[in-house]
Amino acid sequence: MKLIELIDAYKIYNEGFENEVRALNGVSLTIEKGEFVSIVGQSGSGKSTLMNILGCLDVPTYGEYFLNGQDVSVMTDAELSKIRSRDVGFIFQGFNLISTLTAYENVELALIYQGVRASQRHDRVMEALERVGLADRAKNRPSQLSGGQQQRVAIARALVTNPSVIMADEPTGALDSKTGQQILDLLKSLNDEGATVILITHNMDLACASHRIIRLSDGKIVEDYRLRGVTA
Amino acid sequence: MAGKSIAANKVRSFLTMLGIIIGVAAVIILVSLVQGQNKQWKEYYESLGTNRVNVSAYMWNGKDITEDLYEYCLRLDDLVLGVTPNGYYYGNIRYQSKSTDGNREYGTPSIALGSDLYSVCNNYELAMGRDISYLDVQNYNQVVVLGAKLKEYLFDYKNPIGEQISIGGHKFTVIGVYAAKGGTINPYIDYTAVVPYTMNRMLNKNNTFGDFTIKAKSSEATTEVITRVTGFLTGLIDPNYGYFYVYSDNSWMEREDEANRMMSLVLGGIAGISLLVGGIGIMNIMLVTVRERTREIGIRKAIGGSRRSILIQFLIEASVICGTGGILGILLGVLGTLVAGKLIFQLVLYPDVALSLGAVAFSVVLGIAFGMYPAVKASALQPVEALRAE
Ligand SMILES: Nc1ncnc2c1ncn2[C@@H]1O[C@H](COP(=O)(O)OP(=O)(O)OP(=O)(O)O)[C@@H](O)[C@H]1O
Ligand SMILES: [Mg+2]
Repeated sequence: MKLIELIDAYKIYNEGFENEVRALNGVSLTIEKGEFVSIVGQSGSGKSTLMNILGCLDVPTYGEYFLNGQDVSVMTDAELSKIRSRDVGFIFQGFNLISTLTAYENVELALIYQGVRASQRHDRVMEALERVGLADRAKNRPSQLSGGQQQRVAIARALVTNPSVIMADEPTGALDSKTGQQILDLLKSLNDEGATVILITHNMDLACASHRIIRLSDGKIVEDYRLRGVTA
Repeated sequence: MAGKSIAANKVRSFLTMLGIIIGVAAVIILVSLVQGQNKQWKEYYESLGTNRVNVSAYMWNGKDITEDLYEYCLRLDDLVLGVTPNGYYYGNIRYQSKSTDGNREYGTPSIALGSDLYSVCNNYELAMGRDISYLDVQNYNQVVVLGAKLKEYLFDYKNPIGEQISIGGHKFTVIGVYAAKGGTINPYIDYTAVVPYTMNRMLNKNNTFGDFTIKAKSSEATTEVITRVTGFLTGLIDPNYGYFYVYSDNSWMEREDEANRMMSLVLGGIAGISLLVGGIGIMNIMLVTVRERTREIGIRKAIGGSRRSILIQFLIEASVICGTGGILGILLGVLGTLVAGKLIFQLVLYPDVALSLGAVAFSVVLGIAFGMYPAVKASALQPVEALRAE
């Protein structure tokens, strides 16, 4: 079943000016439920731009985007926030934790926005933190955590809502290879449990752990191949 | 959630609150003090009584106009309540071993030389005994009516009526006591005594008076009395031998009122400025954190926060900070008003309720507006754009 369907999408900055940038230059892409897709490409090739659009954090300048069969481009802010809350778990390269909240509160926030009742939140937050091995750091603020730990909090935040797709933009970029491997293992196990995972990475070793690799160059898909035949 | 954010941003929350606290407290204290002063002057004038016409006359030929003026005024009985010369004798008063020279707090009082209508003209009411009578004046009776404080000093709780006291070495019989007026501006108002004005010759070795007070029945009557008395004195006093001046306390009070209004305006202005400065402080702090907050809002949106929930959170946060600041500002303002009132006026001052609430409303609205500003702006952005702020 199709989870993501992007049709001829463009993202153009400063359109019509000298400094026009076509971050996405006509991208069409379909991703099935349960896939584990890697997106690779040189710096500036448009990976983050693509990911942001797929995660409903941004909108394409031109083109259509269907998530779970719904046309995202016609959605209101409230509907979009519902999609982001329910369907998408985002993991950023720069962690993007709220610095004034503890690890626990950062994870809890995702549940609060989903409207989960307070009585149910505690167990789910602790479960998610345990999952990433940080139950004992629940009360720490981001500044009291290492980079790898912060990223694992971010993963806990992404997975606590049981989203249908987890998107990770270079989640290991700021981490050493051993920590990076741990994070990859986490993503793999989430995929094994049924979540669709989209991973942006520079690291071909990590990409090869996925089922499908999409290569971007100058805002266009130049390569799209499957490593193992996993289709829904 | 908003509580957590406030706690986590202690410095910002505190500075914002401080701006509001200072602004609100300054307004309350300053304006209350002006109003306190106003009130005090009003009380003082009211204790003297309104509708008083003062007459000053200077005669080079030594002629005394007291009798003439007194009789003329009594004829104006539809306009005038009373008339009295304003003369004083300064000198020691003794009763047995008590002597006013020995009074450390108030010292020697000034004793009024008045007519039988002195108490009417000066708003004294009799507490015991009788007042000075027309015959006392005419017959040079050596009688005295004491003010409440002077009676208390000389006699304590003893009944003074009929007792002999000595004024400047002369024997006087106490015939009455006036009720206390109280008074914060002039505590001497009750530390006094009145003797018939004809005692002037004996006490001051003087036969004439230059100052008089006429008590009119109403403020309209006051104006009329000024006109009539001026006419009367024009006929009485030959400009070659003297001159006179007739004026009323009412115009004085009006001027004083005017001055107080000006003061209120000036201090109100100062208070407004402090409120504005507090407001600018709030604004600054809020704007400085816009970037930081914009990023936070980006994160919140990215993980599923809707615009509405984010706005509500920021609204609650700003309201709690500003509301707390407003309440603390009122507390500080009331406390400051009480302390300053006690120190400056020896008065218990209460701040103006409408004004205090106005000051709070102003700064709270300002605080909330600027607290909401980043949220309103950032929550309208695409999450990526908000996240880019750094
Ligand atoms: N807000 C923007 N304004 C103008 N140009 C932008 C903006 N955001 C991105 N770009 C441009 O779009 C192109 C694609 O950027 P994008 O971040 O998607 O690259 P990327 O593949 O993620 O690179 P990296 O591997 O370095 O993260 C780049 O050339 C970038 O300069
Ligand atoms: Mg990128």
